[in-house]
This record gives sequence, C-alpha cells and structure tokens, in this order.
Amino acid sequence: MKRLAFAFLLTSAALWPAGPARLDPLDEAGFRQLLAASKGKVLLVNFWATWCAPCREEMPLLVKLEAAYRARGFRLVTVSADEPEDARQALEFLQKVGVPQPAYIKRAANDDKFITAVDAKWSGALPALFLYDKSGRKVRSFIGEADFKLLETEIRKLL
Amino acid sequence: MKTMLTGGLLLLSASLVFAQTLQPGSKAPDFTLRDLSGNPVKYSSLKGDITVVTFVATKCPISNDYNTRMNALYKDYSGKGVKFVFINSNSTEPAAEVEQHAKANFSFTVYKDPDNIVADMFGAQVTPEVFVFDKDGILRYHGAIDDSRNESKVTTKSLRAALDAMLSGQAVTTAQTKAFGCTIKRTKKTT
Repeated sequence: MKRLAFAFLLTSAALWPAGPARLDPLDEAGFRQLLAASKGKVLLVNFWATWCAPCREEMPLLVKLEAAYRARGFRLVTVSADEPEDARQALEFLQKVGVPQPAYIKRAANDDKFITAVDAKWSGALPALFLYDKSGRKVRSFIGEADFKLLETEIRKLL
Repeated sequence: MKTMLTGGLLLLSASLVFAQTLQPGSKAPDFTLRDLSGNPVKYSSLKGDITVVTFVATKCPISNDYNTRMNALYKDYSGKGVKFVFINSNSTEPAAEVEQHAKANFSFTVYKDPDNIVADMFGAQVTPEVFVFDKDGILRYHGAIDDSRNESKVTTKSLRAALDAMLSGQAVTTAQTKAFGCTIKRTKKTT
C-alpha cells in the first residue's frame, strides 16, 4: 500500500506542472546578463502580460515546446510586462501552466528604453518572442501571435 | 519525435509581417476609411493644420485604460485647431462593436479600417498608438500617449508635449516613444 502511494506521488509530481516559485525583476542590464548566461543554449524569450489574451493562449504551447526540446539544449524564459500590482496574478498564471523557472517581470525605470534594448525594431506589442542561437545571437523575432510550425522549425535548426 | 509538436501546434498560425513603421520626418499618405455606416471617408477631408491619428481597440485593456485620457486630449486640443482621426483596424472587432464601444466611451467618432490597410500603410502595431502630422503632412511624433497605462503613474505626457510644441511653433523634442500594448489584430492574408 505504501509503495502504491509512493508511486502515485511520483506520478503526480511528474504530471503536475510545478511552475516558477517567484518572478525575478528584470531591467535592461539584467536582460543583457540573462543573454550572456544563456550562451550554449538555444534561448526563446517570451514577453507576455496577464492582460494579453493571445499571450495567455500560446503559453501552454510554449511550455510543450520547452518540454520537447529541453534535453537537447532549448530553454524558454518568460518576461511579464505586467505592472507590480498584477505580479501575483502573473505568477499564479505561470504556475498553473507550469512555465519553467526562471521567470521574470520587467522592472525597468523606462519601458521605452527597455523595449529598445531588447530589439530596436520592436514597438512593445505583445505577445513577442525572440529566438537566440547558442552564441547568444538573435536570429528571429515573432511579434503578435506566433506561427508555431515555423517557430519549431527554427528551434530545431539551431539545436 | 521529429514532427511530434508540429501537428499539434498548427492551431496558431499567421506569422505577421509588418510593413515598415512610418518614421518621423516622413510624409503622411492619403487613405480611405469607413465611417460606422460603411461609407468611405478620405483622410484628406478629416485632416487639419495638426492631425493626430490614433489606432484604438474595443477589447484591448491597455487601449481602454486610455479612454478617459483620449477624451480629455480631444476636448483640450480640438478647441486649439488640432484634428483627431481615431481608427480601429482590428479584424476581430466589427463595425457594430466599434460603434457601440465608441458611443459608450468616446466623445468622438471612430473610423473602421477594413483589412487593416491603413495600419499596414502606417506600420502601426499596437493599440493605442498615435501618429501626429503637421500642416505639410510630415510626421512629427509617433508612439505612446504617455508613459504609463496607469494614469496615476504617468511621468511623461509625450503626446501633449509634442502637440504643445507644435502649437507654439517649436520643434518636438521627443519624436518617437514606445510602450507595451496589444497587437493590432490583422486580417490573415494568404501569401
């Protein structure tokens, strides 16, 4: 009986999405450090917000992508563009979907400068995905609802 | 494994390719909008010495957070001769919905941009997003209304600063700004 219960717990832990324990604040300097620390991995940075319906819709698909390619060196990092008063709601959503740690929330003094630091051509429209190769070079941007077939193809090419 | 995800992830499609966003210093194109009865309206008949073109939405929470501020801008600057053209380019928000939303929230007319032709022409990507033109049709300011969706946290009123400068014959100090916002929901076009 004990063994059965243990097996059930193990299965539950494997199936139940854990999600991040917290949201780490991120500014322009932190974003540059994140890119530097991710060298050697294929990195997808997802900018999203709780008020952005398409962002919420595509999050489970991004989590599936990460799970499928994590062993080959793919990492998904999320950055919430929510205001501080919505941080709790953002964290709860990420936990529910099972988004991996680390997860961030933007804490830039100036959104304009932060957006430009990520991509000079980006207007700040959400959702936005930025794909980086193992050397930390940005190879593709997806602004608006992403074409997931294309996204997966691009990730596979870089792995 | 190779194609494991491909099939399941086809649900979301439409890679959005945006036209180049109109840059400060470039000339305003003429274009045709639709009033909420479906009648064509030329931009040239709406513009003035200073014209503020604003892309808005009915469902975007960010755009809706600016409704009060957009009404205030319209009230404060219409009397000074500034013309306003509010446009809804979202394919997901039909004319009837736009009309109902405008009646409930705005003191001005909102025009429909079927198939987001004008949004593509301007390279507009977000709601709300403003483009301010001078009497020669030159773009003098592009970007956000101000620097926070939460009005109590606003520190820089960039659109008002641009309009005040133009009305007093001075150069606009900050000609372009960015802010987090909802994407304009474009018609899915086959290529």
